[in-house]
Amino acid sequence: MSGEKLKKLFAASRKDTAPVPPEDFANDVLRMVRQEPPATRQINSLPDSVDRLFPRIAFAALAVIALCVAADYALTAAGMPELGDGLSLFSAQWFFI
Amino acid sequence: MDDFAELVRRHQSRVFAILHRYERDMHQVEDLAQETFLKAWRALPQFDGRAPFEHWISKIATHTALDHLRRGQRRQNEISLSELGEDALDWLRGEKKGGPEARSAAEILELAMRELSPLDRVVITMQEIEGRSVKEIAEATGSSGIAVRVRAMRARAKLKRALEKLAKV
Repeated sequence: MSGEKLKKLFAASRKDTAPVPPEDFANDVLRMVRQEPPATRQINSLPDSVDRLFPRIAFAALAVIALCVAADYALTAAGMPELGDGLSLFSAQWFFI
Repeated sequence: MDDFAELVRRHQSRVFAILHRYERDMHQVEDLAQETFLKAWRALPQFDGRAPFEHWISKIATHTALDHLRRGQRRQNEISLSELGEDALDWLRGEKKGGPEARSAAEILELAMRELSPLDRVVITMQEIEGRSVKEIAEATGSSGIAVRVRAMRARAKLKRALEKLAKV
């Protein structure tokens, strides 16, 4: 019963006419806008972008360092050569031959 | 500045129509419409033109209405039949057959919707009165499609209960 009533209310409400804006409404808005500081388009420079992304970049760098240290400890504990040793071997093989 | 004035003239009727769904007082609607265009002016540098300006300004108007409902939430919780006209009262009591007049329907809905949270009210208004799709409502309110469906269902149930309550008063 109330479901039907609700449907009728919605249907009738759709026909409700909205108030007509006053004739000088746009001028009133412009008066308010003129009191505002000028709207400026922000130009995103590279330093600005880096500055904004800094916390994320710093967090990612810390995560990578922590991962490397953990891996180094784990490899050493497992009796495998340290990451530093592997790196020295790699550079010796590729750059000093 | 002249371009913006032209935008205001072109879209003011739509903004008034949206705001009128949430606020019946003409002076308040005008204040809210001014607030809407002022917000649009401030955010104009962020308007990228990917969607039509009409959609963008409608979204700002909806958010302005939502803020307005949230501000007035505490003082609007009471339901009083004295705010309704004769036609609306007759229809509610079942003394008038058929559908109510548009104005009366809007009055009754305004009263019944005080039982809803501001966001539920915006969702059900956009869906049932403005005829917007779930996707459009989700975009405008920043909710997921599922959340919109759940809110709409909950709002409908609450409105039915509110109508039963109003008919008994």
